[in-house]
Amino acid sequence: MNIVEVKNLSLNFGGVKAVQNVSLTIEKGGVTSIIGPNGAGKTTFFNIISGVYKPTSGTVIFDGQDITGLEQHEISLLGMSRTFQNIRLFGQLDVLRNVQTALDSRARYNLFDAIIGSPKKRKFDKQNAEKSMECLELVGLAKYAYEKPGSLPYGMQRKVELARALASDPKLLLLDEPAAGLNLTETEEFIELLHRVQEKFDLTILLIEHRLQVVHSLSKKIYVLNFGELLAEGTSEEIQANEEVIKAYMGEDDE
Amino acid sequence: MSYYITVLTSITVDLVAILSMYLLLGLTGIFSMGQASFMCIGAYVTGMIATRADVPMGVCLVLSILAGMICALFVGMPCIKLRRDYIALVTLGFGEAIVALLNNMNNITGGALGITGIPRKINLYWGLLILILTILFVVNFKNSKFGRQCIAVKNDEISAAAMGINVARVKLLVFVIAGGITAMSGCLLAYSTTYVEPLAFGVNRTINWISTVFVGGINSLSGSTVSGLIFGILPEALRFSSSGRIILQCLIVILVVNFLPQGLFGENEVGDIFKKIKRKLTKKPTVWEGEK
Repeated sequence: MNIVEVKNLSLNFGGVKAVQNVSLTIEKGGVTSIIGPNGAGKTTFFNIISGVYKPTSGTVIFDGQDITGLEQHEISLLGMSRTFQNIRLFGQLDVLRNVQTALDSRARYNLFDAIIGSPKKRKFDKQNAEKSMECLELVGLAKYAYEKPGSLPYGMQRKVELARALASDPKLLLLDEPAAGLNLTETEEFIELLHRVQEKFDLTILLIEHRLQVVHSLSKKIYVLNFGELLAEGTSEEIQANEEVIKAYMGEDDE
Repeated sequence: MSYYITVLTSITVDLVAILSMYLLLGLTGIFSMGQASFMCIGAYVTGMIATRADVPMGVCLVLSILAGMICALFVGMPCIKLRRDYIALVTLGFGEAIVALLNNMNNITGGALGITGIPRKINLYWGLLILILTILFVVNFKNSKFGRQCIAVKNDEISAAAMGINVARVKLLVFVIAGGITAMSGCLLAYSTTYVEPLAFGVNRTINWISTVFVGGINSLSGSTVSGLIFGILPEALRFSSSGRIILQCLIVILVVNFLPQGLFGENEVGDIFKKIKRKLTKKPTVWEGEK
């Protein structure tokens, strides 16, 4: 069964065709990756799926429902969560509260409960804080729960973002270059963490990366984007043998 | 009523308005340059009703709050989708328009003369009671999911929306609540000073509140309250020299912005101290000593 079906998706920024006629499907479970050189339109593609941009044409179907043109928060509440290429944490909330924001938008109490501090409000807040703490434990950051994210090093901030994206129990997790800016050991750690996440949560992961090495061990299926168009698809071995892909990465041979 | 009590009452009334400014600016990052006009709305609703009919104070209070909230809803709806600097422009225009309107509608509002002869029904105790209730309201709001959502929206709207937060709704909610609280302070003002005139609610007043919130701290309710007290008492303490007090106030703002860009309290609240002590006692302190 497919969790995401994208049909003929295009987005133009004025004259720039950022994404052109991309069609792809993502199977439920496991890790699917989208790779491509810098500027290939990978992040733009993510931003369309998650609702930051509205596509010029085409449709996106998520879990059997047409989500084209829905607002970002509506898509998020349907069970899709994401991380960002340039980490976007809330600087004025501590790490625990950062993770908790993902659960807050799903907490069922209203303004009146909040103002009088009703038992219902306290119950939901306590539950959500505990659940956020569990997510932080999973990524190994529980002891930094009360620090501000700005005081943590880069690699840890990435993990906080991952914990925040996981907290809401998503069906689909979009990871935008999660290994960017990490060194080799940190990248290996991160890949190992993703394996653990996969075991613990029943979710599908869609990963963007421009380094083949990172996705190679993780994903069963890889899509390659170049200049906004779908260039190739297949397993890791197929992609590594694909001449078009090699050309896109290495440049064409002049002779 | 003695002089000191009058001064304290007016500080209490202003503090209520500053709390609404804290909700907008400190918590949610909405730059409302026309907030004083909501105080104006509250004061005029109270003034116009109280001078024409003998209604209980509670009725006027509720009507003022409702009027403020309805106006905030109409101003807020087109505003919330705008970027921060454009919100400032739109609200500034709205604020000045309200003042101009009231100043020129001679037959209904009394024009530039304002409304006089409002019965004095608010004394210091009433003012303090309402101030404390408002503080409790804001504290509980801040410590709930709504407060966290506001801070998330202030820090990063795209990221907040990706967490499932309806950014436009959160901003509108805060705008309407703040409009209601500011209008309530207007009602208190009308009942405590017994007269209202439109020109007292221009952009100067809003800017005073904005600088008070900034001096207090970028996101601190306690800070806003304390700096509201300081800026309330200071002009009275320096009554002997009218130009001196303005210079001193400006000097404080400049010094704080320069040397304490986070404001007096930063993001800390008085209540946090107890939490931190409790955490230190129960667990070992965790200080990250890594890359700087």
